[in-house]
Amino acid sequence: MSRKIKLQLNRVEGDLEIELEVTDGIVTNAWCIGTMYRGFEQILIGRTAMDALAITPRICGICSTAHLYASVLAIESIAKVTPPANAIRVRNICLLSEEIQSDCRQSFLMFTPDLCHLHYQNQLDYARIVELFEDLKGEIYQGAIIHSRAIIEIVAIFGGQWPHSSYMVPGGVTSLPDQRKVLNALSQVKKYIQWFEQQVLATSLQEWLNLSTLEQLDRYAENTDSAMALLHRFCRSLSLDQVGDGANLLMSYGSIINPEEPDQHYRQAGVLDLSAGQSPQSQSKSASLPYLQPQSQTQALDPSLIQEDIAFSWFHDDSAQARHPAQGLTQPKYDPDSDKYTWAKAPRYDGRVVQTGAVAQLAVAGDALILDLLTKLGSTTWVRQFARIHRQASSLLHLAEHLESLLQNIDAPTMVPCPLEDGDGVGMIEAARGSLGHWMSVREGKITNFQVITPTSWNASPRDSDQQPGHIEQSLVGLSIPDPDDPLEVGHVVRSHDPCLVCTVHLLDGGQKHRFGA
Amino acid sequence: MQAGACSGDTMSLLCADNPSWPELVTQYDIDVLWQPSLSTRPMSALLQDIDAIINDQLELNILCVEGSLALGPNGTGMFDRLDDQPKAYVIKALAEKADYVVAVGTCSAFGGVPAAPPNPTECTGMQSFKGEGGGLLPDDFISKGGLPVINISGCPTHPTTIMQTLISLVEGYPIALNNLNQPEEFYTTLVHQGCTRNEYHEYDIEEHEFGEKGCLYYNLGCQGPYTMATCNTELWNNRSSKTREGVPCQGCVSPDFPRDAPLFKTEKVGDVPVTLPLGVSRPRYMAYKGLANDAAPIRIIERKMKP
Repeated sequence: MSRKIKLQLNRVEGDLEIELEVTDGIVTNAWCIGTMYRGFEQILIGRTAMDALAITPRICGICSTAHLYASVLAIESIAKVTPPANAIRVRNICLLSEEIQSDCRQSFLMFTPDLCHLHYQNQLDYARIVELFEDLKGEIYQGAIIHSRAIIEIVAIFGGQWPHSSYMVPGGVTSLPDQRKVLNALSQVKKYIQWFEQQVLATSLQEWLNLSTLEQLDRYAENTDSAMALLHRFCRSLSLDQVGDGANLLMSYGSIINPEEPDQHYRQAGVLDLSAGQSPQSQSKSASLPYLQPQSQTQALDPSLIQEDIAFSWFHDDSAQARHPAQGLTQPKYDPDSDKYTWAKAPRYDGRVVQTGAVAQLAVAGDALILDLLTKLGSTTWVRQFARIHRQASSLLHLAEHLESLLQNIDAPTMVPCPLEDGDGVGMIEAARGSLGHWMSVREGKITNFQVITPTSWNASPRDSDQQPGHIEQSLVGLSIPDPDDPLEVGHVVRSHDPCLVCTVHLLDGGQKHRFGA
Repeated sequence: MQAGACSGDTMSLLCADNPSWPELVTQYDIDVLWQPSLSTRPMSALLQDIDAIINDQLELNILCVEGSLALGPNGTGMFDRLDDQPKAYVIKALAEKADYVVAVGTCSAFGGVPAAPPNPTECTGMQSFKGEGGGLLPDDFISKGGLPVINISGCPTHPTTIMQTLISLVEGYPIALNNLNQPEEFYTTLVHQGCTRNEYHEYDIEEHEFGEKGCLYYNLGCQGPYTMATCNTELWNNRSSKTREGVPCQGCVSPDFPRDAPLFKTEKVGDVPVTLPLGVSRPRYMAYKGLANDAAPIRIIERKMKP
């Protein structure tokens, strides 16, 4: 017997609606429904290019730094200006702080509270799980509140406030780093590292980053009494390492621009096809710092292969063809009685469904442990969530190292002149949730077109004209739901994607603009 | 309730530490029916609570709203839905039952960024559209507790402003509102007050480019001298403020934010900004500025002082 159920989901950023077809207790079909639209891109049309620096951060309160960064890169790409190394350092320091904040809050305020559900009270370790992860009261929950707030102070130190500042400007950054600021920021990083090492990992970051296989991780989890060990054991015992597999194509736009060689990233850009046969191999073996080497199966990213399809989205396009965002067209047409079901478009890479986010970013960059988990377990619910906790370890080291090198170069410039020119530009970066792109056209000093593709647009996309379901939709099919009236399992799977539904944005032509948060 | 929002005010809430969110809830014994990013109850519980509140079976003391209220397309409100209903109208029904209604952030107070031209979602604020009438609720709306919608605007609202407003409501401390229905306590200080670039402003040393040490008011669009907010007296994230780090104040607490003009440029008549510091007369201001510039010491002219 099959029935359809509709679920609204909170504790993701924004509201998400999921429709499921359930047959004999198994999900046989899923639809991810974007229920909200805000119209940001339209608001930008006709404004000066600089205005994007105040408007786009307000697309998303959780990743406002990432939107600012993408917009400033888009403006700089038109002028073909590269900012000085210290400006890149300050930008990276702020983006890494925002990423750690987001990974921390998503993991410990949004994902792990579900593990405290009474449904699991007979599981081994349940009492300890509640002690650590219960909302408001759990030790790690409270620690996450304190330390996510402390790490994000770094953005205020260099950018004035978080969220929603505009300290990145074409050619550099507005603030003047000095020794006081750097030492203040370093002290925040050290405080976070201390909490993370003592309370979350029960080992040093370096020791942690030496783990490179599932077997080593299992051994750590058996022999350590830490929040991370407990989580690994508990999620494995709930089989969260077996369910929620989604799209096989992993994508990253590249993370942490190298200040000295700005065409390089510390975590390289690319796409990695998990279905390509051989298991991916990492060439990086526990380096002292997590500078990952490109690994053989990662292919170079070709931004011209990005297209947006609207076959199942509430948009209209006479050409009925998927479009590259630089030629993007967004004409909303609400039609609840058709096959269309969402305000979100369907971005595709070379016509294929993509997943993006921490797991994709680290896999594309060749993180040994993540690649081993993907090979042995697949891109499942726990592997995705694990990646978001694991990533904090290497990001903290990058953050500390960036601050040290800023200190060593404290008198170097943070600005170069950058003329504001007409043209077509693009800014592509990795936000906490994955690949974020701003495509911008400027004529006579005014924005004439602006398209944003957010990480959640990729992950929470609907079906396309080839009938391919989006990544989150795919990840739900095959899931067993013993109690369709309280489908706890769906919450685990969907939250492990870290969807940000305030962040799905679209633009209209004809001088009108619209924004969609799914 | 979260409507057309970016979650920025929720993030601001999480950045509060005097008290923090968990401290607020436990120390003041608040029964939080719902917080969209944080509640662990399922959404079905929210829908049941909404029914119960509307049917007078459940008391609602404080309704906080984050985000603009979308009334489009064509007045249906379906640009933002909750359980197949227009969310704006669900929120309106709740407001009529609540003792107090708090608009958290400029979007729910006045419309904010989503209401900027061409206002694609036909959105508005809870009781005001850009400081005038035309909000979701009528101009003469008074909640059961005897106050209009309390506008704690800001993009986002300062964490302390959120916390102290909630504490005042819970504890029954007085809340005096100004003509924009903002609590006077938090909106009677200029952003300019406490800006570390005042040393430059005082002697009329104004920057034309970003990344310098001087004042941002004359050329770079800073609205600090006429925007009422605590940014430089109650620092952000315990650390700093936008103007201290060289970012012009955008007047994000104001009803007309974001203004319909280039945001990083000061509109001027001749050499003097169109909008002068609050309450200052133009001829006297020009005379003062000329004298101030003449008095500027070398350490200021050569920008020796760190902001």
